[in-house]
Formats: sequence, C-alpha cells, structure tokens
Amino acid sequence: MHISEGILSGQVLSAGAVIAVAGTGIGLKKIDYDKIVHVAILASAFFVASLIHINIGPASVHLILNGILGLLLGFAAIPAILTALLLQSIFFQFGGLTALGVNVVIMAVPAVLVHYLFLPLLGKSSKLNFTAGFLAGFFSILFSSLLLGVALWFTDKNFFETSLAIIMTYIPVMIIEGVITGFCVTFLLKVYPEIIPKKL
Amino acid sequence: MIEEKFASGQSFIHKLDPKTRIVAVIILSFAAALCDIFFVAVLYFIISTVLIVMARLNRKDVIERIKPVFWFLLMIWILIPITFDGQILYQFSWLKISGTGVILCCKITIKSITILLLFTSLVATMSIASLGNGLHKLYVPDKLIFLLLMSYRYIAVIEDEYKKLLRAAKFRGFRPKTNLHSYKTFAYLAGMLFVRASFRAQRVHQAMLCRGFNQKFHSLDIYQANRFNFIFLIGISAAGLSLVILEKIWI
Amino acid sequence: MNNKKNIIRLKNITFSYPGSDICTLDTLDLEINKGDRLGMMAPNGSGKTTLLHTIMGLCKPDSGVIEIFGKRLKQEKDFTPIRSKIGLLFQDSDDQLFCPTVLEDVAFGPLNLGFSQQDAIDIAKTTLEKLGIQGVEKNVTHRMSGGQKRLIALAAVLAMEPEVLLLDEPTAGLDNRVREKLINILNGLDITYLVISHDFDFIKAVTDKIYSMESGKILTDEKIHIHRHEHIHKHGKRPHVHK
Ligand SMILES: Nc1ncnc2c1ncn2[C@@H]1O[C@H](COP(=O)(O)OP(=O)(O)OP(=O)(O)O)[C@@H](O)[C@H]1O
Ligand SMILES: [Mg+2]
Repeated sequence: MHISEGILSGQVLSAGAVIAVAGTGIGLKKIDYDKIVHVAILASAFFVASLIHINIGPASVHLILNGILGLLLGFAAIPAILTALLLQSIFFQFGGLTALGVNVVIMAVPAVLVHYLFLPLLGKSSKLNFTAGFLAGFFSILFSSLLLGVALWFTDKNFFETSLAIIMTYIPVMIIEGVITGFCVTFLLKVYPEIIPKKL
Repeated sequence: MIEEKFASGQSFIHKLDPKTRIVAVIILSFAAALCDIFFVAVLYFIISTVLIVMARLNRKDVIERIKPVFWFLLMIWILIPITFDGQILYQFSWLKISGTGVILCCKITIKSITILLLFTSLVATMSIASLGNGLHKLYVPDKLIFLLLMSYRYIAVIEDEYKKLLRAAKFRGFRPKTNLHSYKTFAYLAGMLFVRASFRAQRVHQAMLCRGFNQKFHSLDIYQANRFNFIFLIGISAAGLSLVILEKIWI
Repeated sequence: MNNKKNIIRLKNITFSYPGSDICTLDTLDLEINKGDRLGMMAPNGSGKTTLLHTIMGLCKPDSGVIEIFGKRLKQEKDFTPIRSKIGLLFQDSDDQLFCPTVLEDVAFGPLNLGFSQQDAIDIAKTTLEKLGIQGVEKNVTHRMSGGQKRLIALAAVLAMEPEVLLLDEPTAGLDNRVREKLINILNGLDITYLVISHDFDFIKAVTDKIYSMESGKILTDEKIHIHRHEHIHKHGKRPHVHK
C-alpha cells in the first residue's frame, strides 16, 4: 500500500519524512545488538510475504502483513518497514525517494499501534487468539488506508472523494488481511510461540 | 526475482562515488517533487532522461521497470478530472471534466516519471553494498545500514524457502481459490516464513558471534575518490538551484 | 602417549533444547588433542551440530565441564576469546555468509579481530587465493553457487587463523571436483580439526580416526567399526555402523 511519487505536497512530504525519521530513530534505539539480525531477517520475510498473491474472485491482491510485523516487532517495525520499502523501490520501483517517508508512516504507524492494542490479548485462549489476530490485520490496513487518505486530503482538499474511494476499495483487503493475520497468529502460537513477544 | 539489473554498467554514472549519487538524487528528487509549474517540471524530466542516457541503461529494461507507475497514472487520469472542482473544461450531461484536474494530472504524470527515472539512473545503478557504503559516509546510523544489507542478503534465501513450501503444497493438491481454506493455507505459509526467518536469524547471529562480532560494524571502503564526483555534484546542485530560482521568478 | 597437548575437553556434558525432554547430548565426553584429524559419522538428528555448537559456546550445557586450551569455560564472556581460535564451518553456508560481497564476508573476522582495513582486505585476498577462488572478491555472496559458497565460508573461517577447525558437513551438495579440492586443502593444512560428514570416502581421505554418535554419546574407534561392504547388502553402498 503506498502513494506514488509526484502527487503529494511539500508539506505532507516533509511531515512524513520527519515522522519517519523520528520513528526510525526510536525503533533503532529499541533494537539491541542481539536482536538486530532477527529484525533484519523478519524484514526480509515481510518483503517476501508481500509477494504472495491471494485471489478474491477474479481479482488478486498481494498480502501486506504490516499487522503481523507490528505484533512481532513493536517499534522495531518502523526501521524494518523502512528497509523493506527502500528495497522494494530499488528492485521494483514501487515508489521512489520523496514519498518514502510518507509511505513508511502509512505502513509503520499502524503496525506499532496494532502492537500495543492487540498484543496484550494474545495467548489467553485460542478463540481470542484468532480474534486478536483478525483485529490486528483488519485495523492495520484500516489505519493505513486512513493515513493514506489523510495524506491526500492534506495535499489538496479536492482529493476528498478520491480518498474516500480509496478507503472503500481497501475494505475487502482489510477483511482478507484480518483473516490471514488471524490464522497466521494462531499458527505462530502453535508452532513457535517464542516468536511472539511476551510483554510490552 | 531480486536482480540488480542496472548495477553492473561501466558508464560515467556507474563510476561515480555512491555518496555523490545519493546526494544528487536527494537534491533533484525533492526539487522536482516540490516544483509546481508544468514547464519547470518538464525541465526536470529532461534532466532525468539525460541521466538515464548517461548511465547507458537498456531502454527496454527501463520502460519495463517504470511500468507499474503507468497503472497508477491511468487511475489518476480517470479519477482526478471528474472529481476535481474548478474551471470546467468539458461537460457531458452530469459528467464535468475539470480543467484544473487535467493540469494536475499532467503535472503528476511528469513528476512521478521524473522521480522514478532519477532514482533509476542514480540509485538503481549501484549495488546494495555500494549503497550501504554511501549511506555510511553520509552518517546514516550503522544499525540502519546493517538492517538494509542483512535484509537484502536474506530476501533471496527466504524467497527460495517460500517457493519450496508453495511447491510442496501444490504437490499435495493445493489450488489457490477464493475460499477460507486457501486463505488459511497462505496464512500458514506466511507464518512458516516468519518462523524460518527467526530460526535463520538465530543461526546467523551465532555465526556472527563465532567470527568475533563485538557490537561494532566495520565498513570496508573500497571506492576511490574521483574528481568527477565533485564536478558532478556541483553541476547537479547548480541545475537544481537555477530551476528553483526560475520557478520563483516565474511566479 | 600423553605427550600430546590437549586442546578441547568435554566432560559429562548434558544438553537438551529448551522445551524438549530429550537429552540431545547425554553425559558426553570428548577430547581433541593438538594435531588430531578426527572424523565423525552419525545419523541425522543424532546431535552432531549441537555438539559443535556446544564447543563454541552457542549452546550452553545443562551440566558438565568444557575445557578449551586448558581453561574451564562457563559463561558467554569466557567463550568470546576462544571463538576466534576455533573456526566453525556451519552446516548451511547461507547462515555464515551474511555480508553483501565476498570480500566483506571474508574480511569480517579479521576486522573484528582489530586488523586495519587494508590488512583485513589483504588477509581476505590471500586466504581466497590460497583456496583457489581469487577474482570473486567483489561478487555478491548470495549469488555464488553452493560450492563456491562453501569455499568462501571456509575462507571466512580460515581468515581468522584458527588453531582448530570444526567442519559441519563440508561436502554436502558439492560436486566431485570441489570435493577433491576440499580434500587437498584439508590435507595441506597443518591444523587440528574435527570433520562431520556423511561421506565415507571423504572422511577417510582427510582424517585419521572416525567417531560416531548415538543417544547423545560419542562412540570412539574401539567401539565401532565403520566399513564399506563390497557385497550386496540392504544398506547398499552407503557406509554404516555395525554395533
Ligand atoms: N534449535 C533447536 N531447537 C530445538 N531442538 C533442536 C534444535 N536444533 C536441533 N534440535 C534437535 O536436536 C536434535 C539434534 O540436532 P542436530 O542438529 O544436532 O543433529 P545433527 O546430528 O547435526 O543432524 P544432521 O545430520 O541432520 O545435521 C534433533 O533431534 C533436533 O530435532
Ligand atoms: Mg547437523
């Protein structure tokens, strides 16, 4: 999920860049040297997972999974997402340099929010695990599309309808990401619970 | 999948120091992104194509690379003219085509292509290792550079594991469809990727300890200074600055 | 008999992975003396990799004594200095080669040991040359072939000039040519080593003694008899252990 180059205003681009830099700084501080490889390779997995395509009827969407990454990494998800997005723009030209900050904010801020909102619900009962995972996936995409809409709207008030339309088109993605994240979380808790952080 | 297609050229651009190229791409991209006059945007576009030509990249590959942006632009061209207010260019019954919207579309089109071409000519022409080196010289925190290099290093490995998992699932009769079973399968595959990534990380961390890693990253400096770097940077800054001034005077 | 210098001594080592109630290593004893060229053949999952990781201090045993170069090692910080003297070649080269380019990978160890940049580069280059893989310094590591990666990983280990080598299945996935090369390299080194492999001919070519492992313990020469049958047998040509 990102905004392409050449569309946002200078204010929005710089606001995005400033928030992204601050967030990355906090994230890096929270990664100690014993964990840095873990964050890096989870970022690789996040990158690869975003290449998975899922059918919705005749169409297909790719997974985003910033919700999972947020659950697993907390603030460290910000530098991880920055890394993944930078690599994406190098390899696929999804976005370039000027919108990078805004795109990091769009993807990473919801990831961090979801970590603090839904991680405490995990590990209590298996039904709750799925629900918490679903909510993490659903809300990460909801927040992301809201942020995307806000970025457009701040650029030009005329983008209001476009923003609404974009948020609407993301509704099926929210549901799919919710379902996938729900299953994914139950899977992780079953086969490798150590990967899920214990406390906040 | 992960290829550094443009990284291995012998052009003038390829020989520039990574640091110089990073600074140049930042200056030019932001100047282009902030420019608000169509004519000036065209000048940035010309600069970006000159850089592409200087980097002697395969034209077909470059077009292939920026293809995704055309889809985005198509969407923009459909949405913006009919949703924008402002002076009306054309009207079919209820459908109003906004002149302001069309001008905005033109600007977005040229700017987005320009920024992508700048990135392609200046950044995609270096290996990730050189990028890391350039960022290091620009005082980007070592931890972030390490994340970038390490994450890049293991993408291919993890992608390989994903392909194997998917193949195994397909051999066992898995056909992706629009149903809960398919979603569950993909969720498990994605989950497995994170599990493998985490195990891999443990082993890599152990390997680093075995080779004496002591919480300090050392970066090898294998790029020679070259006086063209300085000239190039002066040229780029001058071009950017004069276009910004041009735009200010225009208004 | 006892004039050999003892380098590594494990006594009564017991280890089980967290969350598992099986003892992967069970009151295990092992001694490696200076100049030893040991081989180890044992089935999958018998704990060979775990044993090597225990020597390196990557797996901390639940009980038992680890003595390396005559010093008893307990905590993480005790192991730090010996890790540069014992070179472990990982089972999967992709775990070991984590730098973007070959040169950086091989120079990683020497840089950590405090060598200057230029010295580290020189060490890396000569080591690669010694192993006959010069000219790939600037290549991207993960795009090398499996065989090349093995040799580069070996170079990365040797660049730290270890006194002992622990090799975890060095020939897995190698073709005959690279395998021969590895045999020549190992036989040309004047160094103590322990090689794990499932490749009988290879082990025979590079070691003087072959051990095995079973239920978390080491079986030494006297207790086992590894051989190759010339007649038809249900194990086929694969070497196996007779008890
Ligand atoms: N990280 C781990 N966590 C839990 N159990 C593990 C872990 N690594 C290995 N084991 C278990 O410990 C046992 C020994 O594993 P080890 O890797 O040492 O065997 P190995 O002899 O090296 O096998 P192979 O020939 O397949 O390499 C196996 O049963 C394995 O399942
Ligand atoms: Mg093993």
